[in-house]
Amino acid sequence: MKDIRDTLMLARRSDGTLVARPLSPHLQNYRWPVSMALSIAHRATGIGLSVGALLVTWWLAAAAVSDSAFAMVQGFLGSGFGVFLLMGWAAALLLHLFLGIRHLAWDAGWGFGTLAQQEPVRPGHENRIYRITGWGVIGVTVIATLIVWIIGFVVW
Amino acid sequence: MHMVAFRLPANSRIKPGKTFAAPAGTRRVRAFRIYRWNPDDGTSPRTDTYEVDLDTCGPMVLDALITIKNEVDSTLTFRRSCREGICGSCAMSINGVNTLACLKPIEEVKGPVRITPLPHMAVVKDLVPDLTQAFAQYRAIEPWLKTDTPAPPDRERLQSKEERARIDGLWECILCFCCTAGCPSYWWNGDRFLGPAILLQAYRWIADSRDEATGERLEALEDPFKLYRCHTIMNCTDTCPKGLNPAKAIGAIKRLIVGRQV
Amino acid sequence: MPSNPDLPDRAIHVDVLRSQLKRVRGLGSAHSGSGTWWAERLTSIALVPLTLWFIVSVISLEGATRADVFAWLHAPVPLVLILCMVVATFWHMEQGLRVVIDDYVRSDVLRIAMLLLSRGVCIVAALLCVVSALRLGL
Repeated sequence: MKDIRDTLMLARRSDGTLVARPLSPHLQNYRWPVSMALSIAHRATGIGLSVGALLVTWWLAAAAVSDSAFAMVQGFLGSGFGVFLLMGWAAALLLHLFLGIRHLAWDAGWGFGTLAQQEPVRPGHENRIYRITGWGVIGVTVIATLIVWIIGFVVW
Repeated sequence: MHMVAFRLPANSRIKPGKTFAAPAGTRRVRAFRIYRWNPDDGTSPRTDTYEVDLDTCGPMVLDALITIKNEVDSTLTFRRSCREGICGSCAMSINGVNTLACLKPIEEVKGPVRITPLPHMAVVKDLVPDLTQAFAQYRAIEPWLKTDTPAPPDRERLQSKEERARIDGLWECILCFCCTAGCPSYWWNGDRFLGPAILLQAYRWIADSRDEATGERLEALEDPFKLYRCHTIMNCTDTCPKGLNPAKAIGAIKRLIVGRQV
Repeated sequence: MPSNPDLPDRAIHVDVLRSQLKRVRGLGSAHSGSGTWWAERLTSIALVPLTLWFIVSVISLEGATRADVFAWLHAPVPLVLILCMVVATFWHMEQGLRVVIDDYVRSDVLRIAMLLLSRGVCIVAALLCVVSALRLGL
């Protein structure tokens, strides 16, 4: 599909000749609020967890197939890189989980703050509830991840 | 073009520009680094730096822009009208935050004040973005009261105080498009996604007790691209210079649509 | 291309305005999207408890032999939970990847190809998990 916004990228100079308009900077200089960073993290962890789900598939299928196949998976997961992947998987899963719960709350209408006008009306103030829950999710994820890592190493 | 472009096109990358130094002996100098592009120049956009004497300039960023235009460089182009946050003309990106220049005190910005047009828009000239598409999207949601019942001949259509309160936080929107231009989903899919400002406006008519076209309005919005490109990133609510909550209004639309089929 | 000097710029502008309304209306509303959105929420609700259970299970299975996995899945409750987990995970994954693809892929041909690929991978992987779990558990 051709981008219909292309029609807006064309202008005329004073002498009537055509000129291509520039696109104003966006990602290049947008200051990321915490919610935007978390939204991107939600997406990145989701893609990472999709790869993780395929890893789980490999593990389960290998267990169903043969001793040697299963030993290979367990060997991989027990290696340095495997442990690193599992630790990353736990962190990504927990972040995605807690951000997901925050999303479910929003979808139910909770956690946005008020619809009505807020004081002060300028952005940059820190009284919005979604900023508090954003930092809260970061804190809870760090704590839960550390707990899972520690228990994981103790059991091992 | 197969994929969304995260980088600027080659003709849009910003080059360094000129510097207009403050007169000698100025005590409180503040640098304003401003995006410039003129179709007649035939060159890439550039950043010009203007040093402004805060002692002889008003307190807001818009005051500095007007001072520059009046006293330093009359070619600087920007939209402005009411200078009190009700017309929505002077929406721009100030140090990476979309806001109204007339409501943004210079004192709130530390260091040089970096000003660019609203993000991911076609630039008409300098700080003036082309809002044609956004206003066409506004027209597309039919932003007027739709009724089958004729109005009473002797008075206006009545609302209870509670019904009226339901459009608080919606009617205040001045269509400055700070939120829409701050929404990454609008950056990537603005041709089909309506964007936060327009969806808030759509909800303003859905929430109005006098409007009789609620179902029709919801049907027009129920679309993977028009509505569901909203992923509650929250940049809209975060940046609204009027303190409104477009993300919450969009959430309400999604709940109404699901509510009528579950 | 020099412009026609007889044609006022305003006429060009009005033309662009008019076609913009046609453009933003596009093909109209698809009257869909809410189904996917709702299903993504339902699967995510299911995945909240299932994920917590799965993390505990993974920790308890660290260094497990194949016999341990057999023993784990031989009870009905873990078997049912892992089947729920697999279905919810791959369904959720398919919807999540679809959102990402819809966001970033502009060309419809490429977009539909990627959607089909992602859906295919999810279905095959989910079936592989289900069959493996049943083979281990039954």
